[in-house]
Order: sequence, then structure tokens, then C-alpha cells
Amino acid sequence: MARQKSLSTTVLPPNDLASRTLILDNGAHTIKAGFSSHLSSTPVSTTSCHVIPNCIARSTRDRRTYIGPELTTCADFGDLAYRRPVEKGYVVNWEGEKAIWERTFLANAAKNDGSVLGCDPAETNLILSEAPNAPVSLQRNADEMVFEEFGFGAYYRTIAPALNAYAPSPFPSTSTSPAGIPLECMLLVDAGHSHTTVTPLYHGRPLHPAIRRLEIGGKTLTNRLKELISRTFDVHREDHLVEEIKEDVCYVSPTFTRDLERTWKGGRYDGREVDSSVVVDYVLPDYEHIKRGFYRPHDTDVMNLRNRALGIGTETGRREHVVTLGNERFTVPELLFTPSDIGMRQAGLCGTVLQSLDALPEGLRQAYLANIVVVGGTSLLPGFVARLEGELRASVDEGTVIRVARAESPVKNVWMGGVRLATDEAALRAVVVTRQEWAENGEGWVRRRFAGKKGPGIEMSTPKKLLATVATCAIPIHSIKAGAAMGARKAVESTRMPSMLSSPTSYPIRYRTDPATAAIVTPAQTPDRTLGASSDPLTTAS
Amino acid sequence: MATGPLRFRTPHIEELPIAQSRQSAGFAWVAVSTAQDDPAKNWGTTNRKRARASLGGQTEQQKEALSARVQRETERKIKELNSDNSRDVVIDIARKPGQSTGGAFKAGKTTGTKKILASGKTFAHYLDDEEAEIARTGRRDGDADVPAAAQRASKTPLARRKPRADSSASHSPAPSVAPMAPPPIPRLQTTDSSAAPIPLDGFEDDDEEEDDKDRVPRMPTAAEMEALLNAPPLTYNQARSAPPPAGMPPPRLFCETCGYWGRVRCMKCGAMTCSVVCKDEHDQSRCLKMYA
Repeated sequence: MARQKSLSTTVLPPNDLASRTLILDNGAHTIKAGFSSHLSSTPVSTTSCHVIPNCIARSTRDRRTYIGPELTTCADFGDLAYRRPVEKGYVVNWEGEKAIWERTFLANAAKNDGSVLGCDPAETNLILSEAPNAPVSLQRNADEMVFEEFGFGAYYRTIAPALNAYAPSPFPSTSTSPAGIPLECMLLVDAGHSHTTVTPLYHGRPLHPAIRRLEIGGKTLTNRLKELISRTFDVHREDHLVEEIKEDVCYVSPTFTRDLERTWKGGRYDGREVDSSVVVDYVLPDYEHIKRGFYRPHDTDVMNLRNRALGIGTETGRREHVVTLGNERFTVPELLFTPSDIGMRQAGLCGTVLQSLDALPEGLRQAYLANIVVVGGTSLLPGFVARLEGELRASVDEGTVIRVARAESPVKNVWMGGVRLATDEAALRAVVVTRQEWAENGEGWVRRRFAGKKGPGIEMSTPKKLLATVATCAIPIHSIKAGAAMGARKAVESTRMPSMLSSPTSYPIRYRTDPATAAIVTPAQTPDRTLGASSDPLTTAS
Repeated sequence: MATGPLRFRTPHIEELPIAQSRQSAGFAWVAVSTAQDDPAKNWGTTNRKRARASLGGQTEQQKEALSARVQRETERKIKELNSDNSRDVVIDIARKPGQSTGGAFKAGKTTGTKKILASGKTFAHYLDDEEAEIARTGRRDGDADVPAAAQRASKTPLARRKPRADSSASHSPAPSVAPMAPPPIPRLQTTDSSAAPIPLDGFEDDDEEEDDKDRVPRMPTAAEMEALLNAPPLTYNQARSAPPPAGMPPPRLFCETCGYWGRVRCMKCGAMTCSVVCKDEHDQSRCLKMYA
């Protein structure tokens, strides 16, 4: 069912890749956009990534509507009403999204406020990211919009977690793989705006039966904080403000009960001192003199409070509106780990990770527990990673190796991954779908292709590599003598074959199964090639 | 005392009333319909808790209705927490003057895109559509390998489904590497394969007694990895995180006023507060305002 192309064809031959690739990490909160090219070999850094608010905001004070990147020109963020075209991680409202995209990167969008993202879609490839488990009609709509409406020449739509495998690994002991080669195995926790997703990845390809989603994200936290603050000062309509408060002041407490005790003001006969190390006063911005809120430790002196409210002795000489935040600081992010606090019947983040692992074969669990990467804006909360790691350690066997690391730039990590994928022409060519192919094969084919029926050009002998890697990871758990433990740790900490081979361990691998199922690996002696050769019984047997 | 006609499946048998009645007690048992209707027991308590407890207790239905209401309240609150737009905002996207194709250009370059741009569906609509589609047929979006759910949408994760030897009812040509029907992804406790993992033999001695606990789990074979990788994506609802296992402690309750642990429940509205101070504040500002 060939479709008629309503737009003129590009100057490039229809099945060829354009030289530049636009990587759009389309999040619910912000779009991360930037260019990359497989023809240039200069490494792209995160500075060339533009973070654009993915919303349409209407300010009743200015009586103006800010679309997308125009929000940076807004001076008064008070009482700003948002509308987001991306709901729950998927683009639902294409009208709004189109308006935002036009202002983001289309060349004919006039005032772009200094962002240099103009491009002509017909001569650009597009890598678009979306959340996992999208309803089919939304996927279809996205494909159609990209090809027909915007007219991109070639395009790859992927789930956002998958692109993280191409970004450099945050674990300090893993060496950086060249661009275009994904990390071997990674359990990605994406704490985003609408929800938090746990995705195991194998060579950059997601293991779909094990993807789990926790429906608490930054948005839930912000709304909960709004409710809590509104007990004293009504902020129900101040989205932007409460988000800033959340980012400034909230943290994840490692010991929730103890911190909650510390911030209690006491009963009637049991008054307690307010603990100023945790309770803070947040000064609200008024967008005339105070442009941005800030906080300071709680001032218990009532006279001071009165003075400041009247405007005596304040920094700006004006009245200050102050909100006191005590246990809201850590009760709100606690929702991520205990959703039952508001009555949501889902397991917390640790439980979600364990559920995801349960859906995997048992042998892979150690491998994935040792490679947990955390990305997403919500993971910037202080104490998030430590808390997750602590809870996981408490839930699994003692000897299991658990490594949890946050990417260096959690917000831009997916974008970085996309960039590195795009710089490798072979990898890009393997995944991208051109307009020609879309027109010929139809949208169902394209969708199946994007869902990973045909992965991005990895040689199929890789299961052996994983088995070998996992085998070396599995060994240190069980009955390693102390001396060999050091060597074991060295082997465990690298998840990729070359680096593992380059750090010879002091003991041979003992884990031996029948040759029908796994390879015998001796990393010190076996270079890459012979590994493939010696595991041949695997392919012949299976 | 007259009883009704005996209800046997025999042809009509009628019991004739006997003229002489027995010595009856000076009272008779009378069924009172509900406790609240019995005027003798109604002291005029408006206190719902006492009314519940003393007047005959709650029926199963009433208990269920109560918890259903609470549940609905919680669901509504959670949905509100998860909503983006604080109120129903109507924001017009201002059309920029001097667009490339002129004034008559409404939206969309093809019919398909026009429809997409003009549709006002929200995510809930799309989700419902997809659930309806799945309930009606098997998942028809090209994961034709997954067997069609029988009558209702199967909530079993795909990893645990047993596939039927089904056809591939695909509408479009298969991609270049044809997706194979995923074999049941085995839980690796089964002993079907020949690989019983041989625990560390020949290693140092005394670890052998811990064989059982320390049995290294078996690695998946290449075919199993392929099956995992090629498994179709889950639907939106299948990918939700499940509720915590039943053995977990009950949900924690917090004070409405200050956020500390909730220890005292307000009799009238059911909200938790932590102490007398907070309860007073609750009574003044938050409680009867709603229910007065």
C-alpha cells in the first residue's frame, strides 16, 4: 500500500541518510534537542544540547501565551497556567507539540531567542524518543506526523531508555566504548516527569517483558508539594514556583522515621524544639524585586518573622512572603519509595526494580543488579541514589553485587546516547527508516521495526559475550576466598568484553556448565576472537 | 399455627388448620428489619461511629460500600496528583502571521495529519481504545505472534503466557528479519535443558556443603535471549508496577495538619491528626467546613 508522497522529494537519493541528525529527546517536561553528524568526528558534548520547556504556558498577568522556548523570555512566572502536549510520556496533543517543535527547530520559526537549532527537515535525519509501552495509535500518529507533516527524510523512533545504552557509562571502572556501540547490559531507572520506568537493556535493546512503570514522577511530587504547602499558603496555581521549591529544598532521607521525629513540633504538653537543620524558611519570589526564591534555615524568633513580613530588615527592603518547610522536604520524595503513603497501590521503586528482575531469567539477575543506571530529572534529588541502593541491598541476598550510579547529566543522558548513536553511520543506518521505506511498507512494518524486531546491527553471537560476562560476575558471589575476591571485583566491575580481557584476573573461571549451554571463559587468555570460536558449541547445540 | 402449603414436589398437599392451638409463650419472635429502623434503639445518635458499632453492626454491603467510597476518594486524589494542568485552561495557540503557506492553511498537510492535529483526544481515550481493541481481538498492532486473548484482555504478563500455534495475521509485509513466534520464556528452574549447572568443582574444598544455596543460576541460552529480545512490547497496563506483596506492612498514615504520624482519627470526617493541637486546628478549619 504505497502512499502518495505529497511533498517533493529531497535532493538526496531516497534511501540515503542525510548528513545531519537531529536528536529530539521528547520528554514530558522538557525537550532536549541538538544536532549531531555522522560525517564529523568531533565528539559532541552536552553543551550543544538545548533544553526547551515542552509546554504552552499562559500567564494571566502578562496576558501572553508562551510556547516552548519562548518561556525563557517570560519575566513573571507567577500564576502561570501550563498545558503540556505530552501526557504520561507520549505525545498526545500534536497541535501543541507541532507549535513547540516549529519554534524549536524549524528554520522558518522567526524569533527563536538565540537558539541555533534551525534545520530543514527534508535534509535531516531524526531520532525521536518516547516512553515505553506506548499505545499503538499514538505510535502511528507520531510516525505519520514526522513523515508527512514535518517531512523528515529518515527517522528512528525509540524508547528513551534504550538510547542510554549508547551514552558513556557512569560507572567509573567501565571504559568508554566507541560511539555507536551500546553498553552490554544495563538496568535503566528513568525517573522522569510523568512516571518512573525500569527498563533492562541488552546491547541497547530493551527486554520488553521486564519493563515496569511506577506511576509517580516529578509531576506527582510537585502536585503533592503544592497540596502540602497550601495548608499554609495557597499555591495551587503556581506550578513553576512549586517546582522550583521542590528542586531547591526537597531531598530523599535515608532514615525516614528518624527525620520525621526530628521535625515534629510536639504535642500540647510535649512541645519540642524545631530543628533548624532540617526546617527551612523559603522566601517566595515576587518577580519584581526577588526574581528567584531562596531559602535559609528556619528563624524561630517571632519578632524577626514579623519584621520580615512587614518589610523591615529584609534584603530587598520589601515585604517577604515566607513559607516554612519542615517534613515536606523529605515526605514528598518519599512517595517514590513508598507510594502507599498517598494510597497508591503500587510497589515503591525498589519493589518495581525487583519485579522487573523477576520477569527476567534467573541467571541474568546478578548481571543487571550490578549495572543499574539512574537517569531523569527527578533523580537529581539529593539522596536518591543512596536510598535506592540501600533498599535494594536490603532486599536481595547478601553476596549479590549491586552497583547503582546516576549518569553525569541525568537530564541530558538520553540525548547524549542519541548523539553517539548518530555519529556512527553503520549503527544509524541499521535502525533508521527512510520515507521511501515507510511509503512502501506501511506503518505497521515501521512500527514493528522500531519495536526492535530487528535490532540495531549487533552481531548475533553476543549472547555468549553476555554469558561470559555474567559468568565472571556470578563467580564472586559464591565461595571465593578472600584473596581472589579482589581479582573478582576487578572482573565484575567491567561489563564489556575488551576491558574485561585487559584486566587479567588472578583466578580461572570455575563456572562450568555443559558446553551445550555456555562458554568456558578464561578471560586472561581468551581474546575476543577465540571466545567466539570456543563458544561455537553454543550455536550448534542451540 | 398455620404454615403455608408444604413445598414438596408432590401433588398438592394441603395442611388443614387444626382448631386447637398449642400453648404459646407470651411473646413471639419478631424480625426487625434494620437496627436503624427500630425506634426502641434509636437514641438519636448522630455519631456515625457509635451508630455503626452499637446498632446491630454493619452489614457486609455497608462495609463494602464504605471501603469502596474511600477507595474512590483515594483514586480521585491520586488522579488529581498525576494531572498536569491545574485547571481547565483553554490556551489558543496563536497562529503566527505570515506562515509559509498563507492564511487558508489551517493545519496539517495531508488528510491524516489534519485529523491528528484536529483530534482532541486525551491519553485516557487512546488507552481505552487500545484496551477495547485488545479485548475485542488479539493485539492487532502487528504483534501478530501473540495469541489473541480469549474473551477479556489478558493481564498475564507476556512472559507467562502460553502461546498458541497461531497464524500471523499481519496486514503488512513482515520486516526483513521475520519475527518468530516467541517460545514460552521458561522459568529457569525447570530442568528441561541438559545443563544442570555444575557447581564449583575442583575449587577449594569446604564450599561444597553450600552447594544447595550457592547454586549458580543457569545462564540463558542464545535462543532464550533471542526470545526475550524479540518478545513484543507490553501494553500500557501490563507494564504497571504491581501492588506490593500482601505481607507488607499496611500503608502509613500521616497527620493532615503537620505531617507527622497520624495517631488520632477525627470522628466526623475520618481524617488523621497527630496530636490534640493539630486536631484542634483541624476541627476549626478543615473539618466541619466540608461537612457542615
